[in-house]
This record gives sequence, structure tokens and C-alpha cells, in this order.
Amino acid sequence: MKLPEQLLHKNRVSFVPYIWVGLVLIILPLFLSPYLLYLAAKILIFAIFAMGLNLILGYTGLVSMGHAAFFGTAVYAVAFLTVHYGIGSFWLVALSGTLGAVFMALLFGLFIVHLSGAYFLLITLGISQLLFSIVWKWRALTGGDDGLPGIPRPDLGLPLPMGNDTYFYYFVFLIFIGSFLILYKLIDSPFGHALVGIRENEPRMKILGYNTWWYKYVSFIIGGGFGGVAGVLYAYLIGIAYPGDIGLMASVMVLFMVILGSPGTLACPLIGASLLITLEYIVSTFTAERWPLILGVAFVLVSMYFRGGIGIYLVRYWRKVKVLHGIPKS
Amino acid sequence: MESLRVERLSKNFGGVQALHEVSLSVEAGERRAIIGANGAGKSTLLNLINGEITPTSGRVYILGKDVTRMPVYDRVHLGVGRSCQINSLFLHISVLDNVLLALQATQPFRFQMLRSISKYDHLFANAQELLKARGLWEKRGVPVIDLSYGEQRRIEIVLSLASSPKLLLLDEPTAGLSASETSDIIDLVRSLERDISVLFISHNIDVIFSIAERITMLHYGQVVAEGAPEEIKANPKVKQIYLGYK
Amino acid sequence: MDFWVTIILMGLSFSVLLFLLSSGLSLIFGFMNVLNLTHGGYYLIGSYIGVSIYKWTGNFLLAILAGAAVAGIIGVGMERGFLRHLPGQLLDQVILTMGFLFIFTNLAKWIWGPVPQMAAPPSLFARSLHIGAYSVSVYHLVVIFAGLIVAIVLWFFQEKTRFGAIIRAGIDNQEMIMAIGINFKLVCSWVFCLGTVIAGVSGVIGLPLLGAYLESGSEILLYAIIVVIIGGLGSMQGALAGSFLIGIIHSFSKAFFPPLAFFMMYLLVIIILLVKPSGLFGKRS
Repeated sequence: MKLPEQLLHKNRVSFVPYIWVGLVLIILPLFLSPYLLYLAAKILIFAIFAMGLNLILGYTGLVSMGHAAFFGTAVYAVAFLTVHYGIGSFWLVALSGTLGAVFMALLFGLFIVHLSGAYFLLITLGISQLLFSIVWKWRALTGGDDGLPGIPRPDLGLPLPMGNDTYFYYFVFLIFIGSFLILYKLIDSPFGHALVGIRENEPRMKILGYNTWWYKYVSFIIGGGFGGVAGVLYAYLIGIAYPGDIGLMASVMVLFMVILGSPGTLACPLIGASLLITLEYIVSTFTAERWPLILGVAFVLVSMYFRGGIGIYLVRYWRKVKVLHGIPKS
Repeated sequence: MESLRVERLSKNFGGVQALHEVSLSVEAGERRAIIGANGAGKSTLLNLINGEITPTSGRVYILGKDVTRMPVYDRVHLGVGRSCQINSLFLHISVLDNVLLALQATQPFRFQMLRSISKYDHLFANAQELLKARGLWEKRGVPVIDLSYGEQRRIEIVLSLASSPKLLLLDEPTAGLSASETSDIIDLVRSLERDISVLFISHNIDVIFSIAERITMLHYGQVVAEGAPEEIKANPKVKQIYLGYK
Repeated sequence: MDFWVTIILMGLSFSVLLFLLSSGLSLIFGFMNVLNLTHGGYYLIGSYIGVSIYKWTGNFLLAILAGAAVAGIIGVGMERGFLRHLPGQLLDQVILTMGFLFIFTNLAKWIWGPVPQMAAPPSLFARSLHIGAYSVSVYHLVVIFAGLIVAIVLWFFQEKTRFGAIIRAGIDNQEMIMAIGINFKLVCSWVFCLGTVIAGVSGVIGLPLLGAYLESGSEILLYAIIVVIIGGLGSMQGALAGSFLIGIIHSFSKAFFPPLAFFMMYLLVIIILLVKPSGLFGKRS
């Protein structure tokens, strides 16, 4: 016999706005120029990237400034395998890239996940930069700051060539939907609820009987996995691997996306990625030189005046809209 | 059947000897009070039993098992439940979510990653039972931070009971509560199953003498008296220490 | 043999720069519980202001004072106007301070352009000293000597003065010092100011060694972070020990196998994490 509370739990997320967004995303290619379509794909990819960090930071409470370590590892893995080794099978490359990222999370997570706030943050920052410096200096292998170009669009073995931007966009969209559903399931599960408990009061969780280290570690690994998937897609999107994909700058960008979107909410990754990438696009058309300055100002404004992120305002706005239109509360 | 045995337990905090060679044993179903002045080492003792800190020397046995080196979360699965002296709750989530977290902790599905939590009917049913018993079911959707102190304290106790412990550790359960709230807690403890052992710290004479079957008194980290409530009341050492103290 | 001496001296002078920076970072974190990732940006400010003043007036001392002053003023501004409102909120502090780092770096690029600016050491120190068979750069010696002086002054300050006692107490127990009537907010501003002034000064001192360049903000921040992880957040001795280690390792690895430099440092970080996570001299959290 189910309590209404159980049903409330399940329906806590009203799916209606997500369906609307999904529809918009589906019809987008009809309206966008190739460049804007490329941006849309980039937004979806970074949304996947941000989903991983949202799990680690927003739900589990671990402030990581090194998430790009996983993303960048996958990007370079794809680059090596396709450019240096000429491996054509998409699935093999994608799996390797993702596993590379997961391996990084497995390895580093083991040593750092028990650390407290500031130390954890600094170490993740360090890891991201360590990988950056390795990639940057090892020119022979990675091309250094010239990057590693030549990644072809993937061959999915379908009659739909991925070189066509529209088909590739839909491919990315499908992976995005899949990632979102996986994240939703995780959050809705006992595991996901435990993560929130750890974020809210880790000592109490231990007293209740939870091995919190294990939960943090698994969340870190899954988050890294999402970063890896995003990295694989990104490598195929832009066709070239840059050290910037693995370093502090990328880590900070995805961190800001999560904060913008309101960490710990489902809509966070897409909102954050859309806002930031759109902002970058708009600013770059006027003044590419001053983008870091504008970004810095955005950081200051958000940290001072929009502390919960902007995602929450959008959610509240949606609720108000529903009330206005007399749509009953779910 | 012993539910708890502590052997020559000592804890040194970098020069401060909080506990010195404390030994005691609690039988199954016993109601034991730990009393003593502030700083006597009562909370330290509870922390050592529960596993939040490790002893400098000595051993802890829970339900016959040597748990001295066992981490706090593993002890819960042996049957230890604990309430904290200062409320340690999940303030920004609802009362129901707090209880669900506590109940889930000892369930095998706590590692479940892909099934929705709403599928576990008995989890919600147990939560309902626990909350109704403490009159908190109506407030189940309220974030804990919006509750009164007394209500939060009740949640604190509910959380400690969620794992169906065999050994319940209560650290000053009635701290800060009004007289009626205090008697409510007393009733709660007295209504607990007889096979649950209760070890509690308190400064409140009513609470101590209403619940305790045996009392252990600590002073400067050592056991100075132990016995039935009447013996303790009459003990000259106890009187001496409590002189000028209620 | 000259070669070894040079490496050691270069390493030690880099250690001094690191010490100046990381002691500020560590102090600010220990006392105010604020992770100031902008700190490298104050080094940057110091170095750019310093190089301009130096080129303009030819007076190195004036450049140091100017660098210190500007860094200090901006620092106090940032603390009072912004950081003060984010007590204990790690995430927001990180975003805020990163934001300021971006702002400072980009403004420097706007004003001074992307090309790094070098400066020769002041003529007084611009020569080599001949000690026996070895020839050493005097400036390196001066920097090392200055670093020792600063370390001693800071130690004296921390151990022997009332202000230092307040700092030590605050690092230990923030609530307590507020309870005994210390104007915590005022002390915070002073501590922050001190930290940024020292960072600005190190930026100027570093000019003949590293020059003024745009990446300095994040680069030196990163080194300072490694120092602070190894030495322990909140500890002066930790900053000293960590800077010493990193400076020497950095110098030696750069000379023999540059890519290895980073590896060595991070290896040290990993070892510390495994053995003593709070750092060599850090307090257990």
C-alpha cells in the first residue's frame, strides 16, 4: 500500500518543463545556422560534463576544482586513438576514452575523497593542473599547446554520416537524454538520497551507519564517468585536443556552470551550460580580448548576489507561471 | 548476556587525560545512567563506545564482539544507536527525509543506485510508524530547520531508534527541554522494548531516577561510584562531589 | 661547481618568493577561514606596478613601495567590499577570488599588453660576487637574505607581539577571540592587508628573477598551493618548510629534467597526502 508521500517522492520532479525543453532541443536544428548548431551541441556536451560535477558537488557536497581532469583525459584518449593509432571503431574509442576518465577518478579519488573542504579543493585543482602541465610539456605525444588535431567525426556504422552537423547534433542529444535519465535515476535512488545526507551532515550519516567514504568515492567515480563521456563527444565535435581541455580553466568553467545553474538541482547542468556558453558567444562577438574580464565580473556578481545560482529563480518562475495559468500543483 | 563491556578504557587528548582506566559492563535490557560533573568524561566515554573516537588504551566489547578498532558506521550494524548531545540533524530537508535516511542506513538496499526510493514501501511505512509515535507525522513535510527545539530533539531521538538498536546511547536526551517535553522523553525510554539496553548521560535528577536501574558516576575521567540508584543517593563520595550541586 | 651553486641559489631565491606568497595564503586561511585564490593576482599586481614605477623612476625601492601599496589597497578593498560577506562559504569564496584573479590578469593584459616585461636588478646588486673559485649573482643572495629577514620578522611578530598573539589565537579558535572582545573584523582586514602587501612586495622582488608576465598570477598561485598543502594550511613553519622544498626541487628538476619538475612536486604532495594529510605542520582538522 503506497503512501501518498511515496508518490510525491516520485513526482517531486514535475516532468512537464523537461519535456518542453526536450521538444525545443529536438526542433532546434530547423532554426539554427551550422555554427549555432555547433554551439548547441557544445552546450549539450558541457551539460553532460556539468552533470558529473553536479553529482559530485551539488548532491554529494565535494567541491572539486579539477573536474576537467576527467574530461580532458577522455578528449586526449580519443585524440591518441584516432590520430596516432588510427582506430576507426567509434564504440571502442568512446569506451576507452570513458574508461580512461573513470580510471583517473578511481585512482585519484582513492587518495583524496576523505579530505575536507579546502584541502580537497586544492588537491583537485592541483591534479587538473598536473595533467595540464604533462600534456602541455609532452609535445611529442600531445602536440603541446598546438593541440592534437585530426580527429575525424565518428563512424557509427549507420547510414547517417556524423560529418553532417545535424546528425551529429541528434547523436549528442540522444546521449544527453540518456545521461540525464541516468542521473535522475541515481538521484531518486537510496544511494542518491544518501549523497544528499552526506552533503548536509556527514558526521551524522556516519553515526547513522553509513560508510560515507564509499559513497563519496562512488559518486566521484560516476561524476568522472560523466566527464569522460562529455570529453569523448567534445573531441569528436571539435576534432582537436587542446591542453586547455584538461586544465584549471576548463575546471573552473564547468564549476561556474554548476554554480550558475544552482547545484543540487536536476536542471542545473543544462541551465548553467546554456548560460555560460551563450554568454561567451555573445561577448566574443564584441570583444574576445576582454572575455576573461567579463567572466571574472560574472564570477564576482554571482558569488556575491546570486549565491544559490540562477537555476532556482527559473524553477520558481516556472511554478509562478503554473499558478497563474491555474495548473494544479503536483 | 552483556550488551556492552568496556575494559580499562583510557583516552588522552594530547596531554589532557579525559578518561582513565574506566571499566564497566551493561547487561542486556539494562537502563544505565552515566552521571558526573561537566568535564568528567561522560561524552568521551559515549564517543568511545560509539566509535567516534578511538581509545588510547583499553577495549570495547559490544554484544560480545571486540569493536575497539571498528569504525563508527560498522558498529551501527551490530546494533548501536546514538543520539547526540547537540542536535545533529539534516536541517534543510524534511522531517520525513531525515527519518528515511536513518531507516535506510541499516537496510541492504542503501547502496541501490537505480531503483527509486519510492519503491520501498516498508521504508515509508516504518517512517510513518516512528513519526506517528512521536506526534510528528503531521509535520513530515516541514524542513527540520523550521521546527521548534523540542520537536528537533524528538527527531534526534527518533533517528537514534531508527536502526532498531540493541544498545541505545543517549547523550543528555532532555537537554534544553521543557518539563512536559522531558516527561515525554522519559515515557519514551520507559516504553522501549526490554531487550534494548539503554546507556544515557543526564544531569536531570528526575530523568535519572525515573529511568535508571544502575548508575555509574564519573569524576575526572574515572569511575568513582557505581550501583543501584538508592546506593548512589546514599554514597558519601557522591554527596561530597555534588555538594553545592543541586 | 659554479653550476651547482647557481642552481641552489636560484632555488632558494624562488623559495623566498614562494614563502612570501604562501605565508600570506596560509595566514589568511588559518585566521579568516578564507581560501584566497586571488593571492597570485596580488603578486601580479605588484610585479606590473613595480616594473612600471621602476622603469619610470629607476628607483627599485620606490617600485617595491608602490607595488606593496597598490596591492595592499586593492586587497583591503576586496576584503571589505566582497570577501567579508562570504564567511566560511568555501564555494562562493573560490568563485569570487577566481573572478578577481581573472579580472586582474585581464586588466594587466589590457594596460600593459601580452608581452612579458623584464627588469634588471638594481645596479647595486646587478653584479656577481666572487667567493673563492665561485661566482654568484649578488641579487640572488640579496633576495635570500631579504627572505630570511622577513621570515625572522614574521616569526618575531607572531611569537612576541600582541598582534601576533591575536593571530595565533585566532587560528586556533576563532569564536574565542571574538568572545574576549577582539574586533575580529578589523583584525581580518589587517591580516588580509598584510598578506596582500607581502604578495605585492614579492612581485616586485621577483622582477629580476621572473619578470612581469600575465601567467604569473595563476602559476605562482599553483606553486603556493602546493607549498601550502605540503606545509599545512595555517602554519608559518609549514610555509617555510614547503617553500624551501619546492624551491629546491623546482630548481634542480628544471636544470636536469624539466618535465620532471612537476612530477617531483606532485609526488611529494601525494606522499604527504598519504602520510600526513594535514601537511607537515598543519593542524588536524
